[in-house]
Amino acid sequence: MAQSPSKSLVMSDAASLRLRLGGWLGQGLLFLVTSLSTFAVFFIFYFIFKDAVPFFKLEGTREFFTSTRWYPSGHPPEFGALPIMVGTGLVTLGAVVVAVPLGIAAAVCLSDLLPFRMRQVVKPVIEILAAIPSVAYGFFALVVFATVLQNHGGSVLSIGAWLVLGPVFFLLVMVAGDLLLDRLKHMLPKPRLAGAVIFPALGILAFLVLRQIAARLAGIEISSGTNALNVSIILGIMALPTVVSVSEDALQAAGRELREGSYALGATRAETLVKAVIPASISGILAAVILGVMRAIGETMVVWMASGNAARIPEPWYNVLQPVRTLTATIAGDMGEADHVTGSARFHVLFAMAACLLAFSFAMNLASELIVKRSRKKLGK
Amino acid sequence: MNDDITLRRFDQFAEHNDSAQEAETHIEAREFSLFYGNFEAVRKVSLQVPKRMVTAMIGPSGCGKSTLLRSINRMNDLIPSTHASGQMIFDGHNIYGRNIDVVTLRSRVGMVFQKPNVFPKSIFDNVAYGPRLQGVKNRQQLGEIVETSLRQAAIWDEVKDRLNTNALGMSGGQQQRLCIARALAIKPEILLMDEPTSALDPKATAKIEDLIGELREAYTIIIVTHNMQQAARVSDLTAFMYEGVLVEFGNTKQLFTNPDNPQTENYITGRFG
Amino acid sequence: MRLGTRKLLDKAFSGLGLMAIALMAMALVLILTPIIWRGSKAYLFKGTIEHRRVMLEQFGRGDAKAFNRETRQAAEARAPVYRMLEEFEAEMKAMDRTVRRNYKDAYGEVEEALHVLLGPRPGKRTPVLLRQQYGQTRWDRTMVKLHEVLYATEWDYSTPGAMGVQIEKPRVDQFRGTRLEPLFDYLPAHIDEMMRPRTTFYWRFITDTSKDSHIFGGIWPEVLGTIYLTLGAMLFAVPMGVIAAVYLCEYAKEGRIISFLRICISTLAGVPSIVFGLFGLAFFLNTIHVSDSKSVLAGSLTLSLLVLPTIIRSSEEAILAVPRSYKEAAFGLGAGRWRTVLTVILPAALPGILTGIVISMGRAAGETAPIIFTAAVSVGMPLKLWETMNQPTPALPWNIYNLCTEHEAVDEIRHVQYGMVLTLVALVLLLNLAAITMRARIAKKLRG
Repeated sequence: MAQSPSKSLVMSDAASLRLRLGGWLGQGLLFLVTSLSTFAVFFIFYFIFKDAVPFFKLEGTREFFTSTRWYPSGHPPEFGALPIMVGTGLVTLGAVVVAVPLGIAAAVCLSDLLPFRMRQVVKPVIEILAAIPSVAYGFFALVVFATVLQNHGGSVLSIGAWLVLGPVFFLLVMVAGDLLLDRLKHMLPKPRLAGAVIFPALGILAFLVLRQIAARLAGIEISSGTNALNVSIILGIMALPTVVSVSEDALQAAGRELREGSYALGATRAETLVKAVIPASISGILAAVILGVMRAIGETMVVWMASGNAARIPEPWYNVLQPVRTLTATIAGDMGEADHVTGSARFHVLFAMAACLLAFSFAMNLASELIVKRSRKKLGK
Repeated sequence: MNDDITLRRFDQFAEHNDSAQEAETHIEAREFSLFYGNFEAVRKVSLQVPKRMVTAMIGPSGCGKSTLLRSINRMNDLIPSTHASGQMIFDGHNIYGRNIDVVTLRSRVGMVFQKPNVFPKSIFDNVAYGPRLQGVKNRQQLGEIVETSLRQAAIWDEVKDRLNTNALGMSGGQQQRLCIARALAIKPEILLMDEPTSALDPKATAKIEDLIGELREAYTIIIVTHNMQQAARVSDLTAFMYEGVLVEFGNTKQLFTNPDNPQTENYITGRFG
Repeated sequence: MRLGTRKLLDKAFSGLGLMAIALMAMALVLILTPIIWRGSKAYLFKGTIEHRRVMLEQFGRGDAKAFNRETRQAAEARAPVYRMLEEFEAEMKAMDRTVRRNYKDAYGEVEEALHVLLGPRPGKRTPVLLRQQYGQTRWDRTMVKLHEVLYATEWDYSTPGAMGVQIEKPRVDQFRGTRLEPLFDYLPAHIDEMMRPRTTFYWRFITDTSKDSHIFGGIWPEVLGTIYLTLGAMLFAVPMGVIAAVYLCEYAKEGRIISFLRICISTLAGVPSIVFGLFGLAFFLNTIHVSDSKSVLAGSLTLSLLVLPTIIRSSEEAILAVPRSYKEAAFGLGAGRWRTVLTVILPAALPGILTGIVISMGRAAGETAPIIFTAAVSVGMPLKLWETMNQPTPALPWNIYNLCTEHEAVDEIRHVQYGMVLTLVALVLLLNLAAITMRARIAKKLRG
């Protein structure tokens, strides 16, 4: 094999310049495409705020943030968005109450309790929950869940109470009984017998209390199935996958050494998790909660379809059985009517709401980034 | 006792090492240094690598031998914040000078890496990768190049019937020989080998070493190795490096049996490393 | 604490975790079951002769000869009904005016309910509205409508202050002793022969256009609109996202600018979807006027921004997973940076990138909020490809919302709503399934 005459190593100045320029140009182009998302973010902020500012110029900020009267098509129109913000807050809070305990418990289970094979079964469940389109959740909430709530509200509530409070009461009985035994150990002649009395007694007490609560709940009639409770539960389910996967990552990141250290000191698995692993990964879990909140607050279809869309503050404010209205649903619902009168306060008020949403989610996003970054530094990674 | 072991270890030397001193220089480092940030990984090394011979570089890990090897085709450019000083002369030019065409340089200086890094493509496409870069499109011409390269790498008989299967399905030793074939397909003048057998079993290692023996007829080979027996078996010349400095460079047989420098002696007799 | 209690607490703790998982799985099952069960009934149901009539007359489908034979048999079964009506009408004519008035309204209701059940009465003028030209096409709806013929609903307001209670009264009581009385026995006894139900697999539900705003027919315009919007979004987002990922992984030097870029990408990922919709309206439609009104183009552009961060992140992950040694090998063979990316890195990262793209497709297909103001309309025909540049389209997510909240006959077309939801969910889950299998394959490949 004859070697072909080899090319010269040195290029002419012109060729070198061309190569360098080409490289520069190419990289510049790539950078431009990449910064498209930056432009998008700026454009979104600019265009939302551009159309939001006229509203505040026309109507001022006080009414928007403090008044409880929302009559955008009245004469004169009134733009008190407070009930809508309260509604948003209420359903978000509800979603957090549903998603956070469940999500963290599931994440702990996934990362530390389940064997590998079971994990392979559970992961797709989470993925499917995350993949179902929001409009399908909304449809379920409106057509199925709202009907059930309206017709059998009481029984649904009491079943829910059994499901949620049952395990909690069980744990409480265990802890309380144990503490009591510890206290009384020295006074009683036969501690073993005392245990056999105390635990069942507390158990029966708890059961009775629980039954009382459930019976009370079963008596409630829900006048409208499209209410804050319905939406909160569905939003909670929708936020679950986010909370589970992010906090599972955080728990995994805590590392095996930490767990082994705790086990070596004689801690049980639960103690290891509660006292060592969860505190170590608390910032990641916090980030998970924030992301879950963002998911719930930004969701449109479910709240639009199933929240009842009543722009007034429930009485008392935490009454989740009353219909509420949220920012996203107001934007989605009112734009159709406001569209024809572009330029009016009615059009711009929706952008003002979008601006609030945008500002809030931006702040939350930054906060979660900061938390994650700081925790990474702390863990030394 | 140490001397005893040394003698037994190095009883099998490469055969072609007598004419080493008279050969023409192919690549030359002059006061060459390479920095990672502020750290000087290679310190003012000067050496002349002769044409069509096997030059081995040995030394403890972290001594800069791999860095020096990778400086010869400027692979260190990939790592951010590296810079070089001094000269590395190839074909009459300092390859760290102005207007150097790095792509041409790398197509004239082939390289084989520590772990076999075949692409997840067919065997044929792996070997044809370099020629295609150089603009060879004709299928028949490509086929010829692929066959020649595979024959040169002594792997043709094993793969000729499955050129279109994925190269990842081969054994580690075969993959490494495929990497050699792939490097040969661009018709380089120099072949750099960075610990080419460290990931292989003894049998595959022996095959690669035989191959090196055959390739020295046509190519200048520079091989970095951890394994001193290997250096002794395959190389004509050996360079011993320590902490970035070229401590000793000379005829392999002489360096192993009668080193000038006490550090070299310590290393090859196993007192440190 | 005592060791025994600690152990018990440990068990209880595990139980709590397992319960959380079980609740999650239960939620999934509870949500999917009605959607799958009732959604499948849009495709597989007991169709009546009226369904076959719609198919033949509106879609030109079916065996005309067999249908005519069947129609004759059904007409024979229906003949007594109409005879009874005629006899009663004659009887009414002969009545005293004051007595007649008692019957007139009640009879009108019966006649109307029968029309809804069986379709227009033979010999009468054909109604203008398509939905009034046919009787009930589905057996389940037939039973509901039969019930409405047999029973009148009234409201009981006897308890003052409380909400009215709905009560049902048999209509037969209103017609005791008249020629119409036997009708109420005849109908339930012979409904089978009159409607001739037969198990029908209507797979064309997905490819038929809708007639009379979803009263009859299928959901093709919505399906096609969703496909257009999804593919359109990918058309913009995939090149942008992959190029950005390549830049971030292979070219960018970490520094202020890059970390700013990354913050922007994560901010974009956190923007609520309804805000994307407003932005699409304010920017693509009202500012740069990509089209005069809502259009598939504007919707696709909006959706592409929404999925961009997902595509960038997954592509980045895929590229970073490509072993460094591939890059070194390519460089060592004299490939330039760009060549290396194109010939080695991207092909090796392709399965991972595809996985991300497929998941984003599912996301884009299911999003509603961004297309409300930019692309979606309630009623429309399937679009030709070039019409997507300037015309709005129906789309599955939007029309699910629309049909179950704003349609004038919400209860009549539950099956269509469920069918649409099932179709959308199946589409999205299939895409995700594809992604999951792809990922499993990659994992296997990387392991062995």
